[in-house]
Order: sequence, then structure tokens, then C-alpha cells
Amino acid sequence: MTHAVQTILLGLLTGGVYALLAAGLTLVFGVMNIINVAQGALLVLSALLTFELWRRFGLDPIAAAALTTPFMFAVGWAIYRLFVARIRDAPVSMTVLLMFALAITIEGAMGLTWKNVFRSVTPSYFSQSFHLGPFFLPKAQVFGCLAALVVLGGLYLLLTRTWAGRAIRAASENPQGSQLVGVNFRSVAALTFAVGVATTGAGGSILSVLYTIFPASHYLWISRLLGIVVLGGMGSLPGAVVGALILGVAETLTATYISTRWATVMFYLVILAVLLVRPQGLMGSRLRRDVAA
Amino acid sequence: MARGRWKVAAALTAMVLVVAGCGGDDDQGGAQSKEPIVIGASLPLTGDFSQPGGAAKNGYEIWRDMVNQQGGLLGRQVQLTILDDASDQNTVVADYNRLITRDKVDLLLGTFSSLLNLPASAVAERNRMVYVEPAGGAPAMFERKFHYLFFAQQATAPHQADVFVDWINSLPADQRPKTAAYPTQDDPFARPVIDTMQKALEQAGVRTVYSTVYPPETTNFDTIANAVKARNPDLLAQGAVFEDGVGLVRSLLKVGFSPKMLFQTSAPSNSDQYAEGIGEANTEGVFYTVSWSPEATYPLNKEFVQRYQQKFNRIPEEDAADAFAAAQVLQAAVAAVGEIDQGKLADWLHANQVDTILGPLRWDATGAPQSDFLLAQWQNGQSEIVLPQNVATTDSVVNPKPDWKSS
Repeated sequence: MTHAVQTILLGLLTGGVYALLAAGLTLVFGVMNIINVAQGALLVLSALLTFELWRRFGLDPIAAAALTTPFMFAVGWAIYRLFVARIRDAPVSMTVLLMFALAITIEGAMGLTWKNVFRSVTPSYFSQSFHLGPFFLPKAQVFGCLAALVVLGGLYLLLTRTWAGRAIRAASENPQGSQLVGVNFRSVAALTFAVGVATTGAGGSILSVLYTIFPASHYLWISRLLGIVVLGGMGSLPGAVVGALILGVAETLTATYISTRWATVMFYLVILAVLLVRPQGLMGSRLRRDVAA
Repeated sequence: MARGRWKVAAALTAMVLVVAGCGGDDDQGGAQSKEPIVIGASLPLTGDFSQPGGAAKNGYEIWRDMVNQQGGLLGRQVQLTILDDASDQNTVVADYNRLITRDKVDLLLGTFSSLLNLPASAVAERNRMVYVEPAGGAPAMFERKFHYLFFAQQATAPHQADVFVDWINSLPADQRPKTAAYPTQDDPFARPVIDTMQKALEQAGVRTVYSTVYPPETTNFDTIANAVKARNPDLLAQGAVFEDGVGLVRSLLKVGFSPKMLFQTSAPSNSDQYAEGIGEANTEGVFYTVSWSPEATYPLNKEFVQRYQQKFNRIPEEDAADAFAAAQVLQAAVAAVGEIDQGKLADWLHANQVDTILGPLRWDATGAPQSDFLLAQWQNGQSEIVLPQNVATTDSVVNPKPDWKSS
């Protein structure tokens, strides 16, 4: 019993971090209909920047999120202005190709800058745990999960309590309607994209403490994140959180009670199952694309 | 407007091609009678294996520089043509086909990993070209009984930990582990090592309390560490490529379990990255087997390390040394045969032993090597060679492994 509870606790902590990683991806899809497959590469970029800050200045990796988040926001803004804005009217598949090209370019640039070696950020707490009775909670995961909650909370407030957030939600729910009431769709799109990419700032910083980082590891992360987003419902922020927690727990339970071989396959099985049974995901809304378009 | 730009681009491209063509003619005019020996290889310079692939390229290049400085091979300068296969099985096949049929290289050197060497060596075999490969010891490589294939390390994957098993069996009964756990990555290089070890140790009376095979994309090792802790084994032997080796130790630190003996296949040999990943203090007592050590006293090894440090400003990676050794094997065969005749080169290698920086290597009829790996152990933040005794860098062995330092 203790073992099972411990397993679920580990899963929830992992899921909390996954939620943050998936939030930006689902936000950008919800508003802009863009599947940002470069999200994984941007995540690894932020993790490597964190590594650099930690190595050079001894900056705590999770605190580094305060620097990487605005930086990745700027990166997101620049990517939107330079590339995405130019093909806004092209079919979705074109934006996927564009973002994939960008991911590969970023991977190459990271390989040149940081060499193709594994990087690890190891602050004093990386290997320590909090002990609660018979249970242990790895400190890095707890801090990471808390930071993820802070960022997700901030994102929620931004979307629900500010005019910029209302504009983003309006644009996401009804692009034409929002334009009619005076929302500047172009600047909202740039803002959304930048906010979506900014989440990789905090996400990457947290990731750098939890895992070893390698330029090519972005493929693994993007496929995992897509699984979460598909399960939660493409475009739904609460869906991404629920999807992340479910998959975090499913991953650890499978690894413990079934087989470690099946643990990583869970993400892909979920994509398949959801698309077959409930294509809109747990919390996504089924769009009448024929009418919307 | 757009069409105009294309025309300019096309004209420019044509000019560049013409100029490049002229340059080529000039080079050939200057080369005269003794043309260089061209050796072709394709390496994973990008993608999953880009790290070892890049190291292997460095190893080949250091070898080329050293050979050329001493007058080359058969009195001819050596030139390398290295392509990038992007860690992709289809690309590596296309690359070797291109090297053989279009570039018409004189000799081949192998690529990195069993995954890539499997299809690439088949291309070489079909074209009857000697194929010495630096890293690819999966059993499947040798089940095909190729004649032109040679693996330039001491042993195939299933036998890489034999030296560790022998060491355990040599211990007094009360120091031997009673129980063991065997998590391994599903990797053609790591898993056979652990499978063979598990069988051998079970025969020696070590009870298996946990074993699991996890896929390469596993990042979260908390659950495995948690399960290992619950079984409390004396020996933990992991088939670890790299990331997973660091990941499991980190998770063991977090769950607070330190085995009395810890063996990992190749992760601990990536010295700086391994120490950085788990904390240098925690490396104490970790065992691994390795094909090469910078301290080994084999001929040319010191020069290789010096050269490498001069050029790349760091201690060579094991993968770089393996590549260097593979090139040494090819060099020895060409020097002994005295001409580039692929059939004679293969026959010579099957019949002779070659001295390399990994020690003496020899092969059976399938190209599988017949020597032993080195048993290494982290001691005081350094990797030391423990066995075999004639190249050991220390007399002492840390056993049992001390507790983790930072938990």
C-alpha cells in the first residue's frame, strides 16, 4: 500500500511539471491553430540557458526561470514576427513544417554552442528528498512542481483577469467575432505565441534540474507533450493540466506494476485511443469547422 | 520580380560550379604520381549518436594526422572522406554505397553503434571491402558470419562484463553479493552485457531479486529506483548507455538507497559528464568495463592522448580511442600485406594479432574479437583500471561502495 501511494505521489509530481510544459503548446494551438512542434526544442534551449547561468554565475536553476521566462517571451515574439506571421494564412500543415524546420535549426545551433554532450544542473538539492513518514518527495520535483503551479496560476490570472487575456480568449473562441468588437487579431496572435513560448522558459529551467539535457532530446519531449495535449483536448489549458497529471501517474504506475517497457509507450497509446474514442480530448470542445470556416 | 531573382541565383550557382570545377583540375595536376589513399567512413555527426559520432571523427582524424606525419601509408598520404549519416540506418547505407561506387574510396572504416554498423557492414561485405568498425559489438553483427567485418574492441557485447563476473567469483564467499538487481536499457549494446552477467551470476549463486528492461526514451527513473530499494539487492548492475545511468543514480540518491556494489555498463566511462551528472563525490566505487583508458601503457597510447589534448583541449573520449584503434587495425593490415587488396587484407586480419591502443586484438572467423575488456572503477574522483593486472592503474579496489555523499 505504501508502495502504491509512493508511486502515485511520484506520478503527480512528474505530472505537475508536465502540465507546465504542455500549457504553452495547448495555448498556442487553442488561439492560433498552430501546432508548435518547436516547443520541445525551445524547452531544451531554455534548459541549456539555465545550465549556462548556473555554471557561470552559480544561479539557482529554478530561480533562473525569472530570467529565462522573459527571454523566451522575446524569442517567441521574434519567431512570430519573423516567421509565423508570414504564413498565417497558409494551411496548418505548412506551419507544422515551418516549426519542425525551426526545431531542427535550434537543435543544430544548440549542438554548435553547447556541443553534443549531456548537461546536468546539480544544485545542492538535486539529489535530496523531503521525508513524510514512510514517503519521500524528491526536492527538485517538489520545487519544480511548485514553480509550475506558480506559472500556471499566473497564466490563468493573465487569461482571466487582464484585458490582454480576455482578448486572447476572445480570439481563441471566435476570431471573427473578436475582430468585430475591436480586438487586434494580429497583435493578440503575436502576444499569445510569445506567452506560449515564454512557458518554455520556466519549463526548461525546471527540466534542467530533473533530467540530463542533450540537444537532440527535444524529440522525446515534444512527442510526450503532444500526448498530453491530445488527451486533455487540443487548446484547453485545464485539459492540459488534467492530461498531464493523468499521464504522469499512468507512467509511474505502468512502470511499477506492469513493465518499464510500457511506461513510455503510454503517451502514444493515449494519443491513439483518444483520437479513436474521443477526438476532442477530455476537455476540448468539438468545433464545427465547416461553420467556423 | 521573383523570377528575376531565381535567374540571378541560377547564374551564380553555375559560376560557382565552373570555378569549383577549375579548382579541382588544378589540384589533380599538382598531385602527380603518388595519389593519396582515400579512406571513406560515414559517422553519426548529427542526431541521437552525434556525441560518440563526433568523438569517433576526432579519433580518425588524429590517426590520419599521425600517420601522415610519419610518411603516410605505403608511402602515400592518407585522406579521409567522412560523411554524416544523421544516426539514420537508411542514410548510412546510402553513404557507404556512395563512398564505394561514386567516390571509389580505397579503404573503408566503420561507423558508430551496432544499429548503424549492421546495415553498413552488409554494404561493405557485398562489395568485398574490409570493414573495421570501432563500436558495434551486438551479437547480431557476428551471427551473419561476414568475412570482411572486424570489430576493433576487445570483446563482443555479451562478454564485456566477463571480467567483472570473474572478479566477483574470485572474492572470498563472505564478500560476494548474495542478491542482485538488473535494470537495463533495451539497447543492443547494453542489454546483452547484463543478460550474460545475470546468467553467470545466477550460476554462481547470486539470487536475482529484480530485473527489468526499459526503453531508450525513459527519462523518469524514480519508479525503478523505488522498486530497487524495496528489493534491497547487494549488487545493482545496470545496462546503462549514458543518460539512463545518470538518471538512475540521481533517483537512487533521491529515494535514499545505496547498493553495496554498483556496476553500470558504459555510462560511467563518460568521465566529466558522469561526474557532473551525479556529483563527483557519488562516483566513488562505481564499477564499469571499458575498452580503453588514457592511462593504459599500450604503445602509442600516450602520444594519442597528447595529440588529442593539443588539438581538442580535452582528454579523449573512449569512442575517439576506439576509432583510433579501428584505424590502427586497418593500418597494420595494409602495412603487412603491402598493397590494397581487400581479400588479402581480410585474410591477414583473420590470421594475425594487431597491437592497438586498446591492447592486442585478434578475431575469430566471424570478425568477433577474442580478448577481455578492462574493469574500471571510480576512485577519488578518477577512473582507475582495476583489472587486468598488467595494465591496472591501482592495486586497491573499493568494496563495498561507500554510501552516497549528498543524501
